[in-house]
Amino acid sequence: MLNKSKANRRDFIRMGSIAGLGMADILRMQQLFGSDDPSRSDINCIFLFIVGGMPHQDMWDLKPDAPSEIRGDFHNISTNVPGIQISDVIPQCSTVMDKLAILRSMTHDDSDHGRGFHVMMSGKKAGAGDFNGDQNNNQHPCIGSIVSHLGAPGVLPPYISLPNFLNSGGPSFLGPAHGPFVIDSDPAAPDFSVRDIALPTSVATRRGELRQRALQQINQLEEDADKIGKQVKSFDTFYEKAFGLMSSKEAREAFDISKEPEALREAYGMTSIGQCCLLARRMVEAGSRFVAVENGHWDTHRKNTYSLKELLCPAFDQAVPALLNDLEQRGMLEKTLVVITTEFGRTPRINPLAGRDHWPNAFSILMAGGGVQGGQVIGATDKQGAEVTDRPITPPDMVATILYGLGIDHKKILHTPLDRPVPTADGGNVVRELFG
Amino acid sequence: MAKGGGFRRINILLSRQTVYNNLMSIFRISLAILLAIASSHSLCADNYDSITIEPAVVEISGRNRQTQLLITGRRSDGTFVDLTSSATLQIDDASIATLSDSLVMGLSEGSTRIQVQIDDFQHVIPVHVRGYSAYPPINFETDIIPMLTKLNCNGGGCHGRAGGQNGFQLSVFGFDPATDYEALTRQARGRRVFPGAVEQSLIYSKATGIVAHGGGERMTPDSQDAELLREWINQGTPWGSEDTPTVRDIQVTPALRLMAPHSQQQLRVIATYTDGSQRDVTRASIYSTNTEVIADCGPEGVIETGKLPGEAAITINYMGHVEVARVVIPRPGVVTPVRPDWFSSQNRIDDLTWNKWEQLRISPSQICDDATFLRRLMVKATGTIPTAEQIREFVADRSPDKRAVAIEAALNSEEFVDYWSQRWSDIMMVNSKIIGSRSAYTFYRWLRQQVEQNRPYNEWVYDIIVATGNTGNVGPANFYRSQRTPEDATKTISQAFLGVRMDCAQCHHHPFEKWGQADFYGLAGYFNGMQRDKLDDNRELVYHPGHKSIAIPVVNKAVATQPLAGSPTTADNTTDPRPELARWVTSPDNPYFSRLISNRVWKHLMGRGLVEPEDDFRETNPPTNPELLDHLASTLTGNQFNIKHLMREILNSHTFQLSSTPTDSNKMDDQAYSHYLIRRLPAEVMLDAICQVTGVAESYPGHPQGTRAIELWDNQLPSYFLDTFGRNLRESPCECGSSGDPTMAQALHLLNAPEIEKKIQATDGAITRLAASDRNEGQLITEISLRIVGRLPTQKEIQIGQQLFSSDNRRRGIEDFVWVMMNSYDFLFVK
Repeated sequence: MLNKSKANRRDFIRMGSIAGLGMADILRMQQLFGSDDPSRSDINCIFLFIVGGMPHQDMWDLKPDAPSEIRGDFHNISTNVPGIQISDVIPQCSTVMDKLAILRSMTHDDSDHGRGFHVMMSGKKAGAGDFNGDQNNNQHPCIGSIVSHLGAPGVLPPYISLPNFLNSGGPSFLGPAHGPFVIDSDPAAPDFSVRDIALPTSVATRRGELRQRALQQINQLEEDADKIGKQVKSFDTFYEKAFGLMSSKEAREAFDISKEPEALREAYGMTSIGQCCLLARRMVEAGSRFVAVENGHWDTHRKNTYSLKELLCPAFDQAVPALLNDLEQRGMLEKTLVVITTEFGRTPRINPLAGRDHWPNAFSILMAGGGVQGGQVIGATDKQGAEVTDRPITPPDMVATILYGLGIDHKKILHTPLDRPVPTADGGNVVRELFG
Repeated sequence: MAKGGGFRRINILLSRQTVYNNLMSIFRISLAILLAIASSHSLCADNYDSITIEPAVVEISGRNRQTQLLITGRRSDGTFVDLTSSATLQIDDASIATLSDSLVMGLSEGSTRIQVQIDDFQHVIPVHVRGYSAYPPINFETDIIPMLTKLNCNGGGCHGRAGGQNGFQLSVFGFDPATDYEALTRQARGRRVFPGAVEQSLIYSKATGIVAHGGGERMTPDSQDAELLREWINQGTPWGSEDTPTVRDIQVTPALRLMAPHSQQQLRVIATYTDGSQRDVTRASIYSTNTEVIADCGPEGVIETGKLPGEAAITINYMGHVEVARVVIPRPGVVTPVRPDWFSSQNRIDDLTWNKWEQLRISPSQICDDATFLRRLMVKATGTIPTAEQIREFVADRSPDKRAVAIEAALNSEEFVDYWSQRWSDIMMVNSKIIGSRSAYTFYRWLRQQVEQNRPYNEWVYDIIVATGNTGNVGPANFYRSQRTPEDATKTISQAFLGVRMDCAQCHHHPFEKWGQADFYGLAGYFNGMQRDKLDDNRELVYHPGHKSIAIPVVNKAVATQPLAGSPTTADNTTDPRPELARWVTSPDNPYFSRLISNRVWKHLMGRGLVEPEDDFRETNPPTNPELLDHLASTLTGNQFNIKHLMREILNSHTFQLSSTPTDSNKMDDQAYSHYLIRRLPAEVMLDAICQVTGVAESYPGHPQGTRAIELWDNQLPSYFLDTFGRNLRESPCECGSSGDPTMAQALHLLNAPEIEKKIQATDGAITRLAASDRNEGQLITEISLRIVGRLPTQKEIQIGQQLFSSDNRRRGIEDFVWVMMNSYDFLFVK
């Protein structure tokens, strides 16, 4: 019986040259197979997760012609990009539309928060089990852990999450070494600080270095990796990372949001989402590859209009434009991929409690920076915002696109401890038109 | 040719219980099992003593039936190798039957043959396709439901979710076929099935992706599943005759197999129906593994092993019938090890671990040294690291029974009581946030008394289940303050005392589980009608005025109150039925009860449960060493549930006392206990150890100065250290709430926490006293090592100590050396 083909990209190139294919053909195949792109390896990602379900039809994909029970209370306004309109509940966003791309045709089929979280954090459908409540329940590594695993390492932890652990934001079979460094504290709080990232003041720097050197000698592990206890081995990776962080002044200062001028902090807004976005910018600036920010309470099953208008959108509408403008002014926008995503959208029809429920069939997410061509809309939904009518984009597509944006080969195969191959982006395709 | 023919008449019947209990003996007869399969053919080829092909004759008795071939070679050393995928198979008449890999499917009425070739060995299998022209009558429950389950249409993520998906709801895993039938054939104005026009039936057009389907394309139009669905619709969507045979049981071949690393094994699954007929359901079954790293199984029923030696159980599920195929992967290329002289024959535990190593062909590590032993013993039994003095004395002691004496001392120490009271408080969710401080304290004090008196485990568990009275002074009554509904009490008592997780069963019958909703509410009935009268803000009066049966919600079906697989209660509406339940739970004859506590104790002392997670006992999650678990359980039941007695036997075994340094032969093992498993100090133990080493206690609000972390009854006291290192959250009845996983925050805290540095530098601390003493450098290094890592310093440590001391500031040098040693793996871990 014939063995199933296990040719990888390199084999393919070799086969290509044997088969007499030209270089252009080979390059095309390389595209097909995917590959790491070194020119993008310095692009980092700020991944803003809107928890609860961001209402596409009230923010990014309004349906002004639909009946009122679907249309809702918001109206389209013009943006700084002719032809693109968004909701009047986020007027400031209209001033940065030229930097934003709206993906209006996201779609998946899990309308449960925990499971929706899982699929939008990892690109993989949630298997059996309850995905709400237990935070470490992810069955597949999330994007941040994949980036930590495949991306080039830096001084800062490659995957940071704030202001807490994100549901399904764990490393799964990639192991605790690729879990997030969690800043479990809200940078908007007056007493915000990240603890333990530097020696206590009672220990002078030089002494700290002496100690560290001595400890590294004491904790040197056996050469035969199989003989080291599993728990010891994984603790060891954390000690290494901790040393890396402590020995870099820049890295330590990245955590100190008070180094930012007060005016800039105010520009982002003294809100959780505002200060998290600002701290996230500091993190990617210092070299973290993937910073996940959570912003919660968007599950507007009741009083949808009131909640969006009074409680949720004002902070969002201040933070997001401030982040994009700040990145641009620092010349960082081209090197920072900003993703604004959510578990799912919300039901087209407004329910009897004046709220909207969960709707994964069609919803919007956003991307900006990192080479994404702003001022464009990709995909479309029907006249009720219920189903995708053009260019469906799936969670695996989203993962492939983010990885591509960070120069990571999304066609790579991850391996479980059993050596079982797991496709990184689960067959997802890069949304190429995003990148012009 | 037919070499094994003589064996073929040997008829060995194996119940699942036998498979469970007598793995060893099964190995010895496994050769016979294979050859005993009556319908198989044994032949031979050059590389093999014999080759077995199952079935000997392929009979396909209708359309949509199929037969999985299984071809096995037997080598001269008695091991088997799966040749199914490597054999060359060819059908003589391709119009009669066809092959998809090694699966035979019919095409038309008639007979043909399959040519089998393996190297230069050839054989012919006759194939008969009968009754092909007419599709057999379809039964909704036995044909359609398994397909919906296999394609995951009725999974909890899709139409099986409460509320369904896009208006179409099925029962989870098809536990309620009548409702599913209704949903498919009657709801949605009948648009889901059109008997006249299959292709316009939503169920077909969506599942095949002809019409956009949120769940994607579940089947291709040319698949057997699609044909089945078309036929069912064409036949007029029959429910099926009530006397249609149902599945009686399933058999899997092979049920047990020694496999090489990175190898494959085809399984063959045959369902037997109530009328005695059989059907090959290999492709219709659902497979799952309990240990993915060892072996996994794909949807075609092919087991794939990884690189590690060890054992795995593959669960095969068809129509709610569950079977297990066990896989053992011995260390490759090694002969059976010889039992060393020093390895005890006094202790039955050692015999049973030895048997497993023999099977896996690995040898144990050496016995650990005295210092390692004492630290390990004290941490595991008492949650406390030894002092420098204790280590010195123990190492210097020349008496031959000193380890046994130390074990006795540990089991009778005050710290033993502290530590185990806290562990039981974890499992019993003594959580002041949930039940209030007064209740938490009262419950803790009571649990502590039970541990202090070493009261028989069955007796105090009995007291918890039947607890009645004022929660202000009746400790166990506080159990019912956190367990406020019959459902909660059912789940907690099942998991905490029986290791049976009933969470799924509350809502539906899970296909992999034995217990269903009736079992769940049968248990819940014991707690129905319990009263909790509020006395004041802190106290309640808990009592049960009399039995009141319970109904399954939604369907509102009354169920008899009864234990799992037991008989209905005799309590009337004036009698508390709980004593009856408590007697059943705590009975020595209840295998779940004694095995769970044995497994808990074993895991705690050995670092890994024989069943993992330790409180998840299912047929589909078998123990790694069933004989050992049974032995531990019978040790307990044979000694009036004396937990200390069980601990004593484990601690005195050579298995417990093995070195954690692996040998080349056992380094890949992490489930057979061939070397001791290194574990991090638990949160409370590590914090206490830091305090002990530095001589500076933590202060906990409301607790006297000097209180240790293992003495805390309240897990809600603010402590960044305990939170970061994962103390038990006490939110579910298990030890799973305490996490041993390392994090960056832990490493940073150990390196940089000002709190720890303050202890090192404290003017009234132990380090200051050491610095002030007249000890010379060498003595200081020795003293600090003994204090912190519980042994004499290594050469490397002496060197590093000398370097650090060489600065002109003696005090600072000592502090630095203490810091280094407190961050060393020999401190953070129990070796």
